[in-house]
Amino acid sequence: MQGDDGGTLVADAPGIDHEFKVGYITRVEGEGSLSLRVRDGAVVEARLRIFEAPRYFERLVVGRTGDEVVDIVARICGICPIAYQMTAVHAFEDLYGIEIDPSVRALRRLLYCGEYIQSHALHVYLLHAPDYLGYPSALAMAVDHRAVVEQGLALKRTGNQLIAALGGRPVHPISVRVGGFSKAPRRSDLDGVRAALDAAVEQSLATVRLVATWDPPALEHPQPLVALRHEAEYPYNDGRIVSTDGLDLAPGAWREAFEEHHLEGSNALHARTHDGRVYLLGPTARIALAADRLHPLAAEALEATGLRDAIRTNIHRSIVARAVELLHACAEARDIIDGYRPPSEPKVAFTPRAGVAAWSTEAPRGLLHHRYEVDEQGHVTHAQIVPPTSQNQGAIEADLAAFAPAVLGLPHAEATHQLEMLIRAYDPCISCATHFLDLRIQDERSGKGT
Amino acid sequence: MVTDERMPYAPYPAPTGTAVAAPPIPVASPNGSGPWFLARANLGVLIDTLREDGRTVIGPKVMDGAVVYGEIRSVDELPAGIGDEQSPGHYGLTKGRHRRIFDYAVGPLSPKRWTFPPVVPLNVGRRDGKAVSFEPAPIDPPALAFLGVRACEVAALGIQDRVFLGGPYTDEDYRARRRNALVIAVNCTTAASTCFCTSMGTGPEVRGGYDIALTELDEGFLLRAGTPEGADLVARMPVRGADAGQLFRAAEAVGKVAATMGDPVPTSGLHDRLLAQFDSPRWAKIAERCLSCANCTMVCPTCFCSSVTQRSDLDGEVSTSERVWDFCFTAGFAKVAGGNFRSRPRDRYRQWLTHKFATWVDQFGTFGCVGCGRCIAWCPVGIDIRAELLAIAPPLAVWPETGRPRPVAATPGSYATARIVSVRNETADVTTLTLGDVDAAFLAGEFGQFAMVTVPAFPPVPISISRFGRDTIDLTIRAAGPATASIIGLGPRDEIGIRGPLGTSWPIERAMGHDVVIVTGGIGLAPLRPLLDGLLAQRDRFDSIRLYYGARTPADHLYREELRRWAARGDIDVQLTVDRSSPDWTGPVGVVTHLFDRATWDGSRSLAFVCGPERMMEATVEALEGRGLTPDRIFVTLERHMECGIGLCGHCQTGGLFVCRDGPVFSLTQLGGIFGREGI
Amino acid sequence: MPAVAARPRLRVGIVKMASCDGCQLTLLDLEDELLALASRFEIVEFPEASSLRSAGPYDVLLVEGSISTPDQAAEIVELRRQAKLLVTIGACASYGGIQALRNWSSHDVFRAAVYAHPEYVESLATATPVSEHVKVDAELHGCPISPEQLREVLVSVAVGRRPQIREESVCLECKRLGTVCVMVARGMPCLGPVTQSGCGALCPTFGRGCYGCFGPREQANAASLARTFELEGREGEEVSRLFAGFTGWAGPFRSVIGDFGGPPGMTSGATSPITATTATTATTEGAGDAG
Repeated sequence: MQGDDGGTLVADAPGIDHEFKVGYITRVEGEGSLSLRVRDGAVVEARLRIFEAPRYFERLVVGRTGDEVVDIVARICGICPIAYQMTAVHAFEDLYGIEIDPSVRALRRLLYCGEYIQSHALHVYLLHAPDYLGYPSALAMAVDHRAVVEQGLALKRTGNQLIAALGGRPVHPISVRVGGFSKAPRRSDLDGVRAALDAAVEQSLATVRLVATWDPPALEHPQPLVALRHEAEYPYNDGRIVSTDGLDLAPGAWREAFEEHHLEGSNALHARTHDGRVYLLGPTARIALAADRLHPLAAEALEATGLRDAIRTNIHRSIVARAVELLHACAEARDIIDGYRPPSEPKVAFTPRAGVAAWSTEAPRGLLHHRYEVDEQGHVTHAQIVPPTSQNQGAIEADLAAFAPAVLGLPHAEATHQLEMLIRAYDPCISCATHFLDLRIQDERSGKGT
Repeated sequence: MVTDERMPYAPYPAPTGTAVAAPPIPVASPNGSGPWFLARANLGVLIDTLREDGRTVIGPKVMDGAVVYGEIRSVDELPAGIGDEQSPGHYGLTKGRHRRIFDYAVGPLSPKRWTFPPVVPLNVGRRDGKAVSFEPAPIDPPALAFLGVRACEVAALGIQDRVFLGGPYTDEDYRARRRNALVIAVNCTTAASTCFCTSMGTGPEVRGGYDIALTELDEGFLLRAGTPEGADLVARMPVRGADAGQLFRAAEAVGKVAATMGDPVPTSGLHDRLLAQFDSPRWAKIAERCLSCANCTMVCPTCFCSSVTQRSDLDGEVSTSERVWDFCFTAGFAKVAGGNFRSRPRDRYRQWLTHKFATWVDQFGTFGCVGCGRCIAWCPVGIDIRAELLAIAPPLAVWPETGRPRPVAATPGSYATARIVSVRNETADVTTLTLGDVDAAFLAGEFGQFAMVTVPAFPPVPISISRFGRDTIDLTIRAAGPATASIIGLGPRDEIGIRGPLGTSWPIERAMGHDVVIVTGGIGLAPLRPLLDGLLAQRDRFDSIRLYYGARTPADHLYREELRRWAARGDIDVQLTVDRSSPDWTGPVGVVTHLFDRATWDGSRSLAFVCGPERMMEATVEALEGRGLTPDRIFVTLERHMECGIGLCGHCQTGGLFVCRDGPVFSLTQLGGIFGREGI
Repeated sequence: MPAVAARPRLRVGIVKMASCDGCQLTLLDLEDELLALASRFEIVEFPEASSLRSAGPYDVLLVEGSISTPDQAAEIVELRRQAKLLVTIGACASYGGIQALRNWSSHDVFRAAVYAHPEYVESLATATPVSEHVKVDAELHGCPISPEQLREVLVSVAVGRRPQIREESVCLECKRLGTVCVMVARGMPCLGPVTQSGCGALCPTFGRGCYGCFGPREQANAASLARTFELEGREGEEVSRLFAGFTGWAGPFRSVIGDFGGPPGMTSGATSPITATTATTATTEGAGDAG
């Protein structure tokens, strides 16, 4: 982690700056604020400040075993705990040379499907949709659009049901263990959720169609994209790290292409490519880099929207990408359950060994990377956890800088809303990021700060 | 009043004095039939038949490392070739004998889970304006058949029958569930090291309370039917009569199990011993280990406590009530608005143990424990109640405990024989005979019991047993009539007929931790001598001991050598008196009550044991009451004309009591207005 | 007696300190009930899910997260003034959470281990439960909390009765379900007997020992359970790590951790936990007061 001034778009700026601030961004996970500094219609400095309190997870896991790490890192995020558990468990299994049973691997993917369903339904319906329909919250939205909200809640419930069937409870599930699961479900344990998934497929298809009709704010700003890509499946647990710039790395080899910096005024470690560029992770990147691995139902729905290219260039269209992934997760989950046979043993024994346990998986919000240095007893001596939202900070700031000029002329409340909406399009998971993004817009010409 | 043969236990009787009722004995079933033999390959027919009758079979199966009860659809689900190994805090499955299904002892679950389920809906309450209504939940239990119920579990069902059905208020949900469940019991052919049903008198053999009872042999199962339903089932199965060899092997297998268990929890006097230890420091020691986690109560097949929960809508207008398992170890169990009656873990443990082994007897007439040992195995920190009971309330170990056998020759026509070993003249007309070659039942008799003694041509007479030796007993007899005269005229190697030991005994366990006052006159010391033996053998268990003994003259004191020895010990206060002095007598003269007229001891911490002529006893009791003893702590022994000693000849009746059977030792509370009354 | 129809809705706020959001999410996980709750509760502050803000007053304020920064320490005092009923939700707010394990170590070492420029990072020397700063009216335990218990608290407030949160060990939930004890039958260390119920005995039902995320139950005899773990052959840190989890800062667990050498990964030199009172002197700025 080298100190580096990466990422903020600061230009030399004589004259007066116009400052634009939003004190607390709502309907994102975690706590953030933003401010922009603008001069002559160009953004001089863009910082999204997330004042989430640091909890020091990378230090808390020192001295712990793989199984303990799996339990602990889940608590980095209440919305995407499974992403953390998966990344950690695959990292340790990779280091210890553990071959998991194919049924167990199927269960891992199934669990991840559950998280995608739950997380994306939460974001699309409860956090993002109110922006499109003009409400301050989903609860307010339910007064006029009850059926829409109920559809979202139904999808979220199915996701939670699936996670609970495999992991005990939807938040911080308990069954993921190094080597497999503490208990594998019988086929009959999945009957309930299997029935719910039929409805979920229909509901998520309806979701794709619905969100495709919503007009987003205009923005043409393609960014470098990074995601995992797997030879056979849509990327969740496994895949090589690829990018629109031709990158191709093993899932544990993140630091060969990227690095973290600690900037002043932030608890956040910004991530950059080695040559200092920002990059974008998440549904947008996955659709761009791995759409050919989508479930046929999802691929078909994506085609029908005609928005495949628009997703690539306007971050607001991520809601469509998320809806497509929602459909994919429902359909794949259904297929996995239909083909599921319980493993003979839910988990295999192993012997810890010293070395580096490193892995990346695709969390709903984008590529998540863990790297643990481990001693001979299997205790962690050093940890690096790189969440997707912290990696996206640079891209968020870049998008804000590109988008802001269009809204600065609007009344403050409306401008705030538009900028928040842009940030929400990233579905940022700020507790994960434990970072400060400081977005301040200062208009140097008018001299006013807001 | 329950009369169904499957629930043969009558409502609990009122407690009778200090005796602990034996475990419930079922009403004799006219349909008891068998034994039959079912080949192993045909066990599936039993399961299929039950299921065809629309019953769900709840039987043993292996799950998550234990043998639990669950729905059994086919024979293949039964735990063939599985055994178990249990010790405090540990349970593990082992390899059982090949193909044997019942080679495990007991698992963490018991039929209680179905007869007294963890969660049962009670009612739905509604409020509509000012009116409220409560709609009880319908009772519609499924038709079940329990397969593999052990004797301890059958006894537990009987115990819960008493709790839920035997009192003035009944639980109809429980009744319906019991009615709808067949019991297919199994005689144990194996026991875990944690089992102690032999001590509690509940097993290993099933005695009643079953529809069918099985005993497993290598080649199949011995079957008995206990009810019409059971007999009907057996009739539909491919059985044949069992042969003698099979009967023998079955009995031998069960007998072996009983022998391996021994008697780790002596229950004689346990009720009193335990209640005397309410302030024992041992409770605090247990509390250092006990987690108050309530596991012991949940695996226990008789624990019956519960709480009622409400789940209401947001307006509080519709509320569902449920009964859920809840036990005395949880924090809120004894909480009220002002505080918590049992906030300390040590108090909760004490509540559980004393309820199970003492106050349950007062409430329901039996112990609450059936000796299944689950609480020992499933305690996470391995607290073993057998060890704790011995530590807190050990039995008085005068002689090795051999259990509590029934009296010998206890039918009107029979007598056992004993041989006189030695004769000793105590006084001019009182002789002590020491008998050998006596049945072991006599050696295990209790202090205060008596024997019916006879020789041919003379009527039988009741004689107190005045000492229990290692392999002899003493009878101290006064020549009062021809029968007694002829008996004391016998010499060594002569034989006599005896029946016994009979009657109730001095409640020595209740005296533990208390002061003891013994007041006696003349030959009355004879039935009290075993009590003194017991008190002195564990002197430190009792506080002060005072013996007040009066006789007509100094020559009429019994056991004079022993009296001197006792007085010389220094830890027992021996005071003698005579009605008429003699030249070498330097002690007090007067009635025995004068010995403690001006004494200063505090009667409120004392128990008194009194024996002598009835006038003397009456005066003594009056004096004792004047010193602060209450009737429940004063014990007397009565003498009446007896011809059988077993409550069948009717001679010894006094009021509603048979002195031979309900006495001869009584507390004054028991006697009530009878004591001291003329002509009763 | 509750009146009909137009009674005012109770004003509810949901705020977050240092936490993962999982407990707030449990409110959203009430799903269908959520819309019904809206008829009795007006959620006036819930930044995670609503852009409508309110600084108070609140009839019920649900607080998630431990107090980990000077700002939070000040903020919670003000929030307490605004709230009629303050209910902490979750292990972080009620016990300090997993991040409280750093209270056994040097704060500076922790900061430096994660951030290249620790001077940029403002946090208190300790992560502490809300109750160490202000008076708390009720606590919901769990990591995360149980949706059923949350529902019960809200319904109780609406109806006016005391919430029925059972005070019992996880063992009761296990045995009511018929789950076989993983400790007795499989030798897995399990904190169930000393842990507050509420999760439905999830971990034993899924074949692993309880790790105590609902915190110690009343009068938890954690020391006895720790001794039993020792008798099974574990030593020192192997015992303390079992209790050094998401509620390790809670009294009975904290004592065991201390008795057995501290949590794993503790920085050398810090053998006893730092308390809140010493915490306030070790940070970049002044910190909040215990309220």
